[in-house]
Amino acid sequence: MSWIREGELNLLEKISANILMAGPMPKHVAFIMDGNRRFALKKKLERHDGHMQGFNKLAETLRWCKHLNIPEVTVYAFSIENFKRSKEEVDGLLDLARQKFERLLEEQENLEKHGVCIRVLGDLNMLPLDLQEVIAKAVVMTKNHNKCFLNVCFAYTSRYEITNAVREMAWGVEQGLIKASDVSEALLSECLYSSNSPNPDLLIRTSGEVRLSDFLLWQTSHSCLVFQSVLWPEYSFWNLCEAIVQYQLNHKSIQKARELHREEQALQQLEADCACIAEHLQHQGNGKPADAQRRQEALQHYTVAREERVQDFLQALKHKRDTFFTNLCSETVLT
Amino acid sequence: MALLYGLIWRLLLALVRIKRATVSWLRVRLRTWKGRFWQRTMAALLLPVPVAEFKQKKADANQSSDGDGDGKGAGSRPSRWISDGISLEKLPVHIGLVVAEEELSYTDIANMVVWCMAVGVSYVSVYDHHGIFQKNNSSLQEEIVKQQHHLLGGDDSTFNMELLKNGTDKPQHFVVSCRPIVKVLSPEDGKHSIVQAARKLCHSVEKKEWSSKDISVSVLDVLLRESKNIPDPELVVKFGAVNSTLGFLPWHIRLTEFVSLPSHKNVSYEDLFGALQHYSACHQRLGQ
Repeated sequence: MSWIREGELNLLEKISANILMAGPMPKHVAFIMDGNRRFALKKKLERHDGHMQGFNKLAETLRWCKHLNIPEVTVYAFSIENFKRSKEEVDGLLDLARQKFERLLEEQENLEKHGVCIRVLGDLNMLPLDLQEVIAKAVVMTKNHNKCFLNVCFAYTSRYEITNAVREMAWGVEQGLIKASDVSEALLSECLYSSNSPNPDLLIRTSGEVRLSDFLLWQTSHSCLVFQSVLWPEYSFWNLCEAIVQYQLNHKSIQKARELHREEQALQQLEADCACIAEHLQHQGNGKPADAQRRQEALQHYTVAREERVQDFLQALKHKRDTFFTNLCSETVLT
Repeated sequence: MALLYGLIWRLLLALVRIKRATVSWLRVRLRTWKGRFWQRTMAALLLPVPVAEFKQKKADANQSSDGDGDGKGAGSRPSRWISDGISLEKLPVHIGLVVAEEELSYTDIANMVVWCMAVGVSYVSVYDHHGIFQKNNSSLQEEIVKQQHHLLGGDDSTFNMELLKNGTDKPQHFVVSCRPIVKVLSPEDGKHSIVQAARKLCHSVEKKEWSSKDISVSVLDVLLRESKNIPDPELVVKFGAVNSTLGFLPWHIRLTEFVSLPSHKNVSYEDLFGALQHYSACHQRLGQ
């Protein structure tokens, strides 16, 4: 079955959507699609069928999001922890992924028509090479589309993602592109797998569990969290509307908290820059305190230089990541 | 048309807010009402009731109608709290109390801390995203000691009150006599700590002491525990209508269960116990 579902909302759904869209709408929604196996148990199906139904529900949810003008969706498809499952189930899930990504490649025209950009976030080198290659092709094929974005977290955990971001910054230091003192919250965010996306406004977890399970821990620190008891394959348009209403109720207070955090972040960056200046001037001035104007000028120069270094580093990082995908694509051409 | 949708949307949100407020009000009312109802029924019906049961119910009623605890039945409560803790299938080692409300009540949070300790929880973290508790930690500490005497009769040894402050290299705390630990956290202990750890690692790389390839999840994890020395919170009780963690320890909450309570003002022991029961019943598959 396809990733892209055509079809309009019915009248009642359309009216509800219009009512909701009168208020603030999330621009980026993340889903923890939990409950496929419990659904299979409930309906006396094989686990594999539960996961298939789960995929179908994902495609339907993307259709609803499109009609609700939600341009970006991130989903937790496969956690690094899931490798602990039985070989049979893991192979089944990887096979399903293989099928679905290959199907995606056949839908190139449709994806272009709808402007869908697919990104896959995770430690992809943990996956079998052939799956990595088909994923790479899908990502490269859609990378210039910009109407809507689907981020699939595969072989992903948040701690691995944060650690990888730290490793990338350390790599930048090794390459002489940035200094250790350039490390900041903003820079770490730019080094995450999700750096091309804004933070999710809304995180929805289905099946009644009330934990994050190592998903987007950094990015959802100031997101609206909604835990719903419905199993993922049974998710409905109305469940989605309910989650959006929760987002709208929380919108003002969360915006306020985000603003407060941004101000604190800016202050911390300023303090860090001032500390670097103070150290530098101390060395230069031979113990004599520098006047305020000199300090101010030094701060301005330092900030500009730091931002330039950071931009160069981020360009290099982007190039490294793009090369990873294009290399995988060219490997398939050679084989 | 857009105007009409806008009006309906405002009405919808107003209805949801009213429903929420009503449910909250009923929750508090039923709790106090249940106690008085029982007493009145007993008085009216004059039925012979097993004395122990009535005493227990009376203690419940006293407690629920008088959240702060005025000392009545104080003798029975600590032992009841301990037995409650033992009765649960599993008890969190570390509970986070996240207050997502603008106005803070030190007394109510102090009560929650004391109840957590009494039930057998080893670590309690208190957090608000403005960092107000951390700025006024001495007031909170005083309040906790005060409520501890109030609720536990002052027999128990004082709790260790450790302040989580960045930059200071506190000596390692060894829990010798199983005294519970209270930590007061702020947003600085969240993302900012992770950034500091990252900076530290990058400095080591700059000095060629480490290579970027040496950086792994366990290395970062150890670094994030070094100055804090607390296990991950298994349960977070969030107070307030805001459905967000508001920056609370992002690294440490990967497997944390979240329970929401409408407010920390006039919170009762039963509210906490309900959250603990929920935690006890949940089943973590850990990816499997």
